[in-house]
Amino acid sequence: MAEYANVVRRAVGQLGGHGGVKGFLLQLFRVNDIKTGALVGVDKYGNKYYEDNRNFFGRHRWVIYTTEMNGKKTLWEVDGSMVPAEWHRWLHCMTDNPPTTHPPEPKKFLAQVHQINLSGTSNCYVPYSTTRKKIHEWVPPKAGEK
Amino acid sequence: MFLSSTLRSAVSYAARQVRSLHQTSARAGAGGIFVHRDTPDNNPETPFEFSPENMKRVEAIIDNYPEGHKAAATIPVLDLAQRQHGWLPISAMNKVAEVLGIAPMRVYEVATFYTMFLRQPVGKYHIQICTTTPCMLCDSDSILEAIQNKLGIKVGETTPDKLFTLTEVECLGACVNAPMVQINDNYYEDLKTSDMDQIIDELTAGRVPPPGPRNGRFSCEPAGGLTSLTEPPPGPGFGVRADL
Amino acid sequence: MLRLPAVSRALAGAAHSKGSISTTNNVWTSVRASSNMVEVFVDGKPVMVEPGTTVLQACAQVGVQIPRFCYHDRLSVAGNCRMCLVEIERAPKPVAACAMPVMKGWNILTNSEKTRKAREGVMEFLLSNHPLDCPICDQGGECDLQDQSMMFGADRSRFTEDKRAVEDKNIGPLIKTIMTRCIHCTRCVRFASEVAGVEDLGTTGRGNTMQIGTYVEKMFMSELSGNVIDLCPVGALTSKPYAFTSRPWETRKTESIDVLDAVGSNIVVSTRGGEVMRILPRLNEDVNEEWISDKTRFSYDGLKRQRLTQPMVKDASGQLVATSWEDVLTRVAGALQGVQGSEVGAIAGGMVDAEALVALKDLLNRLDSETLCTEEVFPMTGSGTDLRSNYLLNSRITGIEECDLLLLIGTNPRYEAPLFNSRVRKSWLHNELEVAMVGHKVDLSYSYNHLGETTQVLQEIADGTHPFCKVLAQAKKPIVVVGSSSLQRDDGAAILKAVSTIAQNSRAISGVEEGWKVLNVLHRVASQVAALDLGYKPGVDAIRKNPPKVLFLLGADADCITRADLPKDSFIIYQGHHGDVGALMADVIMPGAAYTEKTGTYVNTEGRAQQTRVAVTAPGIAREDWKILRAISELAGVTLPYDTLDEVRRRLEEVSPNLVRYDDVEEANYFKQAHELSKAVNQSLLAAPIVPPQLTVKDFYMTDPISRASQTMAKCVKAVTEGAAAVDEPSIC
Repeated sequence: MAEYANVVRRAVGQLGGHGGVKGFLLQLFRVNDIKTGALVGVDKYGNKYYEDNRNFFGRHRWVIYTTEMNGKKTLWEVDGSMVPAEWHRWLHCMTDNPPTTHPPEPKKFLAQVHQINLSGTSNCYVPYSTTRKKIHEWVPPKAGEK
Repeated sequence: MFLSSTLRSAVSYAARQVRSLHQTSARAGAGGIFVHRDTPDNNPETPFEFSPENMKRVEAIIDNYPEGHKAAATIPVLDLAQRQHGWLPISAMNKVAEVLGIAPMRVYEVATFYTMFLRQPVGKYHIQICTTTPCMLCDSDSILEAIQNKLGIKVGETTPDKLFTLTEVECLGACVNAPMVQINDNYYEDLKTSDMDQIIDELTAGRVPPPGPRNGRFSCEPAGGLTSLTEPPPGPGFGVRADL
Repeated sequence: MLRLPAVSRALAGAAHSKGSISTTNNVWTSVRASSNMVEVFVDGKPVMVEPGTTVLQACAQVGVQIPRFCYHDRLSVAGNCRMCLVEIERAPKPVAACAMPVMKGWNILTNSEKTRKAREGVMEFLLSNHPLDCPICDQGGECDLQDQSMMFGADRSRFTEDKRAVEDKNIGPLIKTIMTRCIHCTRCVRFASEVAGVEDLGTTGRGNTMQIGTYVEKMFMSELSGNVIDLCPVGALTSKPYAFTSRPWETRKTESIDVLDAVGSNIVVSTRGGEVMRILPRLNEDVNEEWISDKTRFSYDGLKRQRLTQPMVKDASGQLVATSWEDVLTRVAGALQGVQGSEVGAIAGGMVDAEALVALKDLLNRLDSETLCTEEVFPMTGSGTDLRSNYLLNSRITGIEECDLLLLIGTNPRYEAPLFNSRVRKSWLHNELEVAMVGHKVDLSYSYNHLGETTQVLQEIADGTHPFCKVLAQAKKPIVVVGSSSLQRDDGAAILKAVSTIAQNSRAISGVEEGWKVLNVLHRVASQVAALDLGYKPGVDAIRKNPPKVLFLLGADADCITRADLPKDSFIIYQGHHGDVGALMADVIMPGAAYTEKTGTYVNTEGRAQQTRVAVTAPGIAREDWKILRAISELAGVTLPYDTLDEVRRRLEEVSPNLVRYDDVEEANYFKQAHELSKAVNQSLLAAPIVPPQLTVKDFYMTDPISRASQTMAKCVKAVTEGAAAVDEPSIC
């Protein structure tokens, strides 16, 4: 009986923890998971970092991505590279000290604004070809020139 | 940049030196290399024209050959050109080709093949010293040394006054009178170093010493006198039966 | 047996086919022996040969290949490499097979101990001064010395001395020389003096220091110079543009046809990875023997430059911008739908295949237009192009070898058709062919009787008042060749009439048999004969007089029509493979395929249909020309009834069956009729002298869009004008 009560309590907690039915559904569709945990911190982009040690190791820390980052709509298009470096190490259990309590040492190579991975976008890096062109196409002269 | 160019020039210089070890006597002589390089005194603009009397000779030479075979006259006409000019500049070869109506290349082929066609300037007297085996055994080296000391030039060089050019050649076919030199068209044979000095002095003075053996021989008879046919020839009736 | 010839022949045939030795066979041999043939034995096998046959040829007749370096079928015998030494039974020493005529009853031992020993010895001497740089040598893989040393050489070297080194020569931007590799076979020297007629190469020096070269700093300036690359049995003469690019075993070979002149030389296109690496000649005794001109051989780099790779249209500002096929095809189809009849016209250029020509003609005919022109002019008065014999080189290229008098009119065959000229030179050299010419005096590499360059001379010959008519009257088999360039003039019809009269007169006087053709036209562009066969109008006069609203340029780059000749709002469509004159003035550009990229039919100046093959795919999204036209026709609502190449060719056959009879020359012989009709021409000759456009070698290299795009050809022009040193590049090896 007590376990059923526990289940109901958790269900209610998860419903409430996401801000009602609407928030719950959004979380369900966006993250495919509805677990709740302690909010460890929020980075300056709005990504929220949670921890719940009741989950087994590897699932006990997670991030709920922000809905807009660096001008990009990230409500549905999320990317692992949205996590900045200082949170990355906590999230991946390289350390137990979140940057909220142990702020990272400032280094000049650390980016001021974290960049999302550009792969698959029009700004992605394309290595230039070093091979000789087989065909040199005709370039029409500019209009008006003679 | 500077280093590499220095290195390259050093290497190419060394390569040239190494290559020169393999020169044949034909190349070391007045013939030179078998490609033409324009120089101030040897280029297609070098003036060359057959003199009127030589032109007559050219026509006579060409007439020796049947119609349509003018090319056969290449060697004598080239020789004539060389006699006129002293040596054969590229313009002379072109002129010969023009006179004979053949391609210049065909003339170049002939002129480079024969070592007696001189494609580089020579002095007034072209001394060709034979150093092939029979002459060498008769001490042609001393003659060569005498000429070099006298003129102050080495083999293949010309004196500054453009009077003498010294060339080392292979056998000239006067082995019986070794050692010998050929100066222009004359053979000087049975030489001793003193003879050589004397010949050069004469030539410098503008006189051409008489060609031939220098040891009193008339021609190519044995140097130590006859060893056979020493008795007077038997008269008529020799060995014939007495009763006839 | 004599009374029943049919039966006896049948019996003899049966006996022969069974291969049994019957009496008939013996009779055969005795008959042949009595006809002055010589019987010799090659390794014991008997063979009957003509007297005067060399040992090498006799061996070739029984299929025994004797190794050789200096011997070449088409050059004089030199006999200086000694590789072909063979033992003759009971002969005291081995003989050079290439130079020794056979004697009756000789037994040639091509694989005896003595022969093998002789070959091994010769090979050792050849290799003693040959550098061992095969890994960096461009001849590697197709080197006679390499192959023959594998076959006949010793397995080790005994040579410990230093090797000879020879200075490399700079003989132009086409041929790279590494003279240290030279084995002094003198094939190049003989080619230069016998075939090319440019006596620039020779042997200088003697003995170990002998070298091949020009002696003076000079270019090997011949329109056939590239052939010495193929002739050279070693890597001494290799191709400069091809240097270090590929190996023969890496390339894929496609047998094709050259379209840069009207001769239609047979070529092999070597490709690797979708790129043309080089072009080599292919043997065709009737056309190019085994030579090709330098333009054919070296302008392949023009196929990779200035190419049209995607469709283009003019935007609002008049700038050509790249677009898609859908876009251009709908635009072109729309433009064609809006016009009818003579509002649309087409000009076909010099390198268009017959398939595209017929597709364009069918398309325009469906739009009720008959305004289809070629760039080259041909007089339409008289019988015009109605009679095929009017515009062909009727005697064929091989006919030159049979004739005894050749009259050239207004042409410079040396640069307009180099291989035709090499045939003339061959005949001039071996058959005592007499050549005369009316037209500008040019160097043809052989001597000829220059009659003058005025049209008056032509008229005098036609009238029979010129002294040359006496010579013409004595000819047994005369040939008259008129250059297409002289027919471009305003008085082209009058010239053709005069030429026709001369040809007809000399035919009558010579009393040559009916099949012999006297009148010949030498064309300059590859597509002209096919275009005329298909019914195109020669010359763009029709378009100039009646400018169409829509003008379709199919590879027309000869600059014979300009924007200024057309109304301001006319719409110009260009379809072709190079951005050249035509593309510059176009509103819409459709990229087509060049001759190495399509299977196309070309008819050469003799009327010989030949086909090119796909060696590489067309660059970018360019397509085969007839396919583009087929697509346009569908969008324009006048679908052409063919979807495959075979169907197009069936259509070609309908129009003109000779177009698909490949490698065959259709006879055309209506000179009498043509001459009768030409009498109606009442045009008078102009006073201007007859001067063909290509006078010196400088004019030869760049004549069409492909060669104009070629950097190699540009280098050739520069080398000709400024000297070989101007285009000299530092040698890598």
